[in-house]
Amino acid sequence: MRRLDPLARVGAVVLALIVLAAIFAPLLSPYPEDALDPLNSLLPPSGEHWFGTDQVGRDIFTRILYGARTSLGIVAAVLGLSALIGVTLGVIAGYAGGWTRDVIMRVTDVFLAFPALLLALATAVVLRPSVTTVIVAIAATWWPWYARLTASVAASVAKRGYVDAAQCLGVSPPAIVVRHVLPNSLTPVLVQLSNDGGGIILTAAALSYLGLGAQEPTAEWGLMIEQGQSLLTTDWWVVTFPGLAIMLTAFAFNVLGEGLRAALDPRRLPR
Amino acid sequence: MLRYLIRRLGQALLVVAGVVVLTFAIMRLLPGDPAVAYAGPKATAAELAEVRARFGLDAPLPVQLWEYVRDLLSGDLGTSLHTRQPVLDDLMLAFPASLELVGAALLVAVVLGIPLGIVAARYKMRFLDFSVRIGGMLAVSVPVFWLALTAQTVFASNLGWFPVAGEYDASLDTTSPLTVYTNITIVDSLITGNWPMFTDTLHHLVLPALVVAAYPMGVIAQLTRAALIEESGLDHARMARALGFGESAVLTRFSLRPVLNPVLALVALVFAYAIVNGFLVEAVFNWPGLGRYAADSIRALDTPAIAGVTLLVALLYVLANLVVDLVQGVVDPRARVR
Amino acid sequence: MRRTTRIVSAMAALALAVTACGGGQVRGAAKPDGSSPPGAASPSGPFVYSHNLDIVTDWNPATSSSNEIIALQNIYETLTKYNPATQKAEPRLATSWTAAEDGKTWTFTLRPGVKFHSGKPLDAAAVKAAIEHTVQKKGYAAYIWSAVDKIETPDASTVKFTLKYPTPLDVVASAGYGAYIYDPTVDFEAGKADGGSGPYTIDTWQKGRETELTLKAFDGYWGGWDGPHYKQMQFRVVPEETTTWQLLQRGEIDFANRLGPQLFAQAKGAGLQTSETPSFQNLLVLFNTETVDVKVRKALQKAIDYDGLVAATKGAAVAASGLVPEGLLGHAAGMTPKQDLAGAETLLKEAGFGPGGKPLELSMTYAQGDEDQQLLGTLLATALKKLNVELTLTPLNWNTQWEQGKKGKQDVFVMYWYPDYADAYSWFANVFRSADPVSFNLSYLADKELDAQIDALPELAATDRAKAEAAYADLQKKIIDEQAAVAVPFVQRYRRAFSGGVEGYVDNPAYPNVVFAYDLKPGK
Repeated sequence: MRRLDPLARVGAVVLALIVLAAIFAPLLSPYPEDALDPLNSLLPPSGEHWFGTDQVGRDIFTRILYGARTSLGIVAAVLGLSALIGVTLGVIAGYAGGWTRDVIMRVTDVFLAFPALLLALATAVVLRPSVTTVIVAIAATWWPWYARLTASVAASVAKRGYVDAAQCLGVSPPAIVVRHVLPNSLTPVLVQLSNDGGGIILTAAALSYLGLGAQEPTAEWGLMIEQGQSLLTTDWWVVTFPGLAIMLTAFAFNVLGEGLRAALDPRRLPR
Repeated sequence: MLRYLIRRLGQALLVVAGVVVLTFAIMRLLPGDPAVAYAGPKATAAELAEVRARFGLDAPLPVQLWEYVRDLLSGDLGTSLHTRQPVLDDLMLAFPASLELVGAALLVAVVLGIPLGIVAARYKMRFLDFSVRIGGMLAVSVPVFWLALTAQTVFASNLGWFPVAGEYDASLDTTSPLTVYTNITIVDSLITGNWPMFTDTLHHLVLPALVVAAYPMGVIAQLTRAALIEESGLDHARMARALGFGESAVLTRFSLRPVLNPVLALVALVFAYAIVNGFLVEAVFNWPGLGRYAADSIRALDTPAIAGVTLLVALLYVLANLVVDLVQGVVDPRARVR
Repeated sequence: MRRTTRIVSAMAALALAVTACGGGQVRGAAKPDGSSPPGAASPSGPFVYSHNLDIVTDWNPATSSSNEIIALQNIYETLTKYNPATQKAEPRLATSWTAAEDGKTWTFTLRPGVKFHSGKPLDAAAVKAAIEHTVQKKGYAAYIWSAVDKIETPDASTVKFTLKYPTPLDVVASAGYGAYIYDPTVDFEAGKADGGSGPYTIDTWQKGRETELTLKAFDGYWGGWDGPHYKQMQFRVVPEETTTWQLLQRGEIDFANRLGPQLFAQAKGAGLQTSETPSFQNLLVLFNTETVDVKVRKALQKAIDYDGLVAATKGAAVAASGLVPEGLLGHAAGMTPKQDLAGAETLLKEAGFGPGGKPLELSMTYAQGDEDQQLLGTLLATALKKLNVELTLTPLNWNTQWEQGKKGKQDVFVMYWYPDYADAYSWFANVFRSADPVSFNLSYLADKELDAQIDALPELAATDRAKAEAAYADLQKKIIDEQAAVAVPFVQRYRRAFSGGVEGYVDNPAYPNVVFAYDLKPGK
């Protein structure tokens, strides 16, 4: 492993700060999450409200901190869910080969043919709009990448000598998969995971912006932009700060993921 | 080579078949009753039953799928519930507008992205490199709908440099009506010499195209940089250096050509992505493309229209992938083995 | 194999059609018949109306029930027109009318020399044919004529209605929906022709286009075209409010039917005119009387921050008192609700919920994209969270929301209501009278006693105003205070912004969002 790129280190620090902010949001935020004050709505940024207040008088800085919880939660859930499905199917396809592999890979191709946002959009229209819907919708579009990646790695691992040896010794196929194929397939998946956080943040925000994701009173950055967009010409702060928060988080993920990939696998090109 | 071609085409067809089935599944899973969407919000039960019968919505699912596939094969994508036009006709109007926007954006992305990548590679790990990398990463990380809203507010509404929304001033339809051949306004106005329409469309195109261009530009700059750095570390580049060529010459004369191939492949792949990413931008700028059509369709729960857009974009994806694979298969025989 | 080649050719056709050169066509409003030479007919330019949603979903004047009213009221006319200032019906196609003492016979005298756009004369037989056609088509608003027993035409300019029970038929005949007088032999559906008699007629309609609809002057209009008039009307679909605002400033559109409070406040400074009028449209928060306990319903009523909500709309809404907006017979003063969180907590505890009690999960559906309904949701859900009640908000488009509503799937249903003609009866008959299957009674109230009281309303309104007033007040008390079937947080205020030059605009809440362009004097 090569040294981590300086930019990637910056990304790691920023991401760590965002994670800390999310964890300690109740301690850091100047107001309670749901402190309504409709009579003081749309106050511009000031010493009292650093990022101003929204349409019902909530402190935007507070909402941004709590929004980090929502966004990072979505990222974690999507990554977990899609890696679980993708890696499972990928390992099976890669190890079993033959028609099993063909079937799994063609299904994967079909899902990959749908742009993530479009498939997520369709899924989100079918389900009731909520954070859970966002997670399911994005996971439905993300797993094929892991399936494809794992399948190719698993296939090459499965051809190695020690797997042959294990087979000859009569070790059962599930045991081979769990003990040999799976562990060796994980590194590239982990790199990919770190690299996908940014894309997931952006897709989740887009779904919420389209009204198909998180709902009030959940604090969610994309939703904050959606709610405030008609105010942009007059009350810029309602939309601007959530947008910057999304950008900063996605940036941190992307830079870190890029750096990790370069450090672990210098030959691969950025996507 | 022929065997590779046939195998790859066969794969693509299988994927297309899967796409059709999945699209049908989405269509049937959509909430809301298409009959209600068609007959209007206050329709009576008798009217609904009549609409259901007319669209075959009362048949069992496998029959509906079969009929859907049969209609598709004869080029019939159904009738939109909200425009009441054949979906294919609607797409023929909306798709060229999206093509116009995304085409302009990709042009900008390539023209700016590749030189930026070269500059970054030339000044690797120096200030310029970091600026380009940070800029590129920000362009990839920015939520595109937020960028669109912000750009619209700052440059159109506050500074007044550009029109706020639309493809061209609607009054031009009466003062300089456009004769359409391709339905791509900028192309048609150019070939028919309709200058008022051309300049106005160009003026309307600038902001949304720049916003759509952000993502592909970032990706292209990054890829160009990374590929150049890798390529310039290879033997033939070292050779050129040993022969006394300067670093800039090594990059542009010896390393750039092999790098362009993956970059152009990337453009093809990014194209389909940009169409969908452009949906959000179209919504903000009220661009009369697929995105606005899709948004209207979703709002009206217009199932045939939603399915039509989904199908079209998915086919574009398959097509883009196919083209990239085939071209690379021709250029690089190693790719055929995968 | 044949099948696959056809897929390929279909794909290829799709890809190629874009670039195919099959003889160019001219795009836009210019039409081959040259009936409206571009620009020449209207030196003042068209009156451009911008709307955030599609304009026309149903071209049929018999069944139309949606946004297209803003176009149809300029194409079609009704026998009378409601004047909110006098609270009376005034002449339109009918020049005068009389009612018999018992309110059961109405005789209308028609304006002479009126012609439909199709060229046919608009006489008594045409009026009878149109109304009977509307009734027979059984569209949503056909019910307004349900009092009518028979229609007679003693001569070409006289129409006589005999009613089953007394009803203010002159007001009924002014209704925004279902009261159009039209030529029923025209094929409406395609939006190419219309059967109206109004000042404008369809020029072009292209659904999905930004300029969805263009109307042109009908030369044979009975009012004539002397003096300054708009000779053309355009309807533009502009979904984003910011865009609407900017187009308005640049003079590309003349009229915006709604603007957010911030932009509206800026309009005057930007050289635009504005108009603010209380509407007949109020927000109904309907509680599911089948799934939600009456104590919980009362708690929900008390949990709404009414003052905060009205304040947060920044002037787009005014506090409501009872179910009937001010300006209509049946309005009950002194019923303005207040938030009472302590009272809500007590009621919830009595029902076994609230802080320390069982957690309660409720669902609420409302209109996607409606900022004021969204504000209500945010305020209510946040207030309830502190009372150990989780209110899940689901914004839906109307079709889905209504369809789920008819199946009784949600606990709270939020919608706007406005009367089809200027009469409070609409709220009671449609929303709170029991109906099977469910249509708009989305609180699912089914009370025989209430039904009987509601059914008695029209007759009282036509014969004894004082008694009607009392009956309306009593019903509202029962529905809101006793049954807690609904909360009414506010009445909407129409806030229009329009070009500085336009003269003569009056907002008529009886015809929501309609601009009668013929009555305007073009500016600029």
